[in-house]
Amino acid sequence: MRGRDLVGSAVTSTLRGRIRTVLTVVAVFIGACALTLTSGMGTGVNRYIDVTVATFGDASALYVQKSQPLIELSAGSGPQKYDPDSTQIATGFGVSFVGLSDQDVATIEGIDGVGEVAPVYNVVPTYLQAGQERFQLTLGIPVDSEGVQMASGSVAAEGADELAIPDTWVTDLGFGSPQEAVGATVQIVMTNKAGQQQEFDARVSGVTQASLAGVSRNPIPSTSFNERLYAYQVSGSPEEIPASYIMARAIMDDAGRAGPIQAQLEEAGMIGLTVEDQLGMFRTVINAIIWILNACAIIALIAAGLGIVNTLLMSVQERTREIGLMKAMGMSGPKVFGLFSLEAVFIGLLGAVLGAATGVAAGTYLTQVLAEGFLAGLPGLSLFTFQAPRIALIVAAVLTIAFAAGTIPAVRAARKDPITALRHE
Amino acid sequence: MPAVLQVQDLVKSYGQGDAGFTALGGVSLAIEAGESVAIVGKSGSGKSTLMHLLALLDAPTSGAVALHGSPTASMSARELNRVRNASFGFVFQQFYLTANQTVLENVVLPLKIAGVGAAERKRRGLAVLERLELAEKAHSRAVDLSGGQKQRVAIARAVVNDPAVIFADEPTGNLDSATGSVVQDILFELNRQRGITLVVVTHDADLAGRCDRRVQLRDGRIVETPARTVPGPGLGGVEAAPQGGAALGVTGGVR
Repeated sequence: MRGRDLVGSAVTSTLRGRIRTVLTVVAVFIGACALTLTSGMGTGVNRYIDVTVATFGDASALYVQKSQPLIELSAGSGPQKYDPDSTQIATGFGVSFVGLSDQDVATIEGIDGVGEVAPVYNVVPTYLQAGQERFQLTLGIPVDSEGVQMASGSVAAEGADELAIPDTWVTDLGFGSPQEAVGATVQIVMTNKAGQQQEFDARVSGVTQASLAGVSRNPIPSTSFNERLYAYQVSGSPEEIPASYIMARAIMDDAGRAGPIQAQLEEAGMIGLTVEDQLGMFRTVINAIIWILNACAIIALIAAGLGIVNTLLMSVQERTREIGLMKAMGMSGPKVFGLFSLEAVFIGLLGAVLGAATGVAAGTYLTQVLAEGFLAGLPGLSLFTFQAPRIALIVAAVLTIAFAAGTIPAVRAARKDPITALRHE
Repeated sequence: MPAVLQVQDLVKSYGQGDAGFTALGGVSLAIEAGESVAIVGKSGSGKSTLMHLLALLDAPTSGAVALHGSPTASMSARELNRVRNASFGFVFQQFYLTANQTVLENVVLPLKIAGVGAAERKRRGLAVLERLELAEKAHSRAVDLSGGQKQRVAIARAVVNDPAVIFADEPTGNLDSATGSVVQDILFELNRQRGITLVVVTHDADLAGRCDRRVQLRDGRIVETPARTVPGPGLGGVEAAPQGGAALGVTGGVR
């Protein structure tokens, strides 16, 4: 029998099976569809993380903090020695942070491979006033300006008393749209060490979009504005307060050499994280979830494979006399094997192609719907992203499983003795 | 010219020891080209076993089968498949048509197995159906045919590859006597007009009587061929003279 006829016969007899074939194809379909979706989600989420990291522009930036910034509570660990040189940053919950001192900044600058170091003051405004309303305010970190995506306007300009606000704040601050908010003025009220309050006018330079990195959940001032606010925050005290930074951003000369720099920072009691490090945890969790989902899909496919075994065993049983006849007429065992394995592969092909196509269609549709609804807070996230090589790999994997499943019935068919098979009732 | 099929001291036994059973206990026979031979005997006499060995569907425990004078024992499985495909046609009591395929698809199965192209298959399949007056049924599904039509389709399938020998195992067993005699006529016409050797296993005395020669089996051995009592119609008084059988000493009956 020619290869083409063998394929033709396999396809015809698969389609002849009707309901049994349909059900088996459905089983394969479910597995292939699920695998396509989970793999699409893996690609989508990881690509989003990559893009988020990339938009930070600076893969070579290290965000440096004290390695144990929380001043430990005495319970359980005993009292800590007082260090007159340390600077404390109160958070308001009775918990304080140790910030970076000028000395620490000098240490960072002294590390080989570190270029520019930008320390960030911790500014704690009293409230934000927009129109007649007052709001609690925690300011974002000026250096994060580089990583945000703008819904409207631009980031706060250096040298100007400007502020970029998150898009979720627009309505509450009394603006009709992001465009309307840009250029408006809000007031930041600070309290100094003497308990005096002062109002600082801030121009809204732009509206930021939310992102997975979470840097744009707070209004971000310009560095110069942040420093002006800090200067007032520490004023009014009889003695000079030593400089204290919540963190510092260090630019590495070579992003590939983060390891040794991080090691030296750790020795100096500080911890430096790249954006990649910060998102790495998130990536690990997402990938773990996706692998669990993948495993479920693969289990579904293996079950579908058993379905193929069952279907074809029944088919071989039913067609025993036909097999006997074909062998009597000179069809060789290997050709009979080929006929039945091709049936298995055909069932697998139908399920895989339909499943992958449905998975891609459903994923594409879901991505659109979710981008406008549930995931609207994460613009730029295309939850399901499909890559042709990945899809091809899934189809190939399903075909392999189907072929493997088909070998059991196919061997049984190939080994049939024509005389016995023809006598089969 | 050597006989189409020649067997010598053919023994076929199943199992071993006490549980063993000897289906054929030493059979020698020669079948000449163009002959029609009926293998007759009671159930369990070994006639099906003999046919399977002649048709190269099974290998004997001992003894030899020669096709056109060359021994088959040394043939590989591939060669045996090729011989069965190219030189033999099979007709069975239960027809063995694939129910949901068309008549034409059923008929061209041996050609498909042989690797003949689709266009050529169709041409030859339709030609055979034309000859057996089944052309108008070519595209009907096999399941929709009557018993007699099914057996005619099976005969068409058996001759589509222009075989040297047709093996027919109880070809009329499932048919009433009227359709049975139509099927017989077709088989003997093919035998006469196209020179196809006919090997028939049957209980049917009428069918056996129309054959040139009857090989009577009892308990796995050939018993003496009874003298022809009913000359077959249309055979023009051809005597049932076993040719070549004498050389093998087969006609001697029980040995």
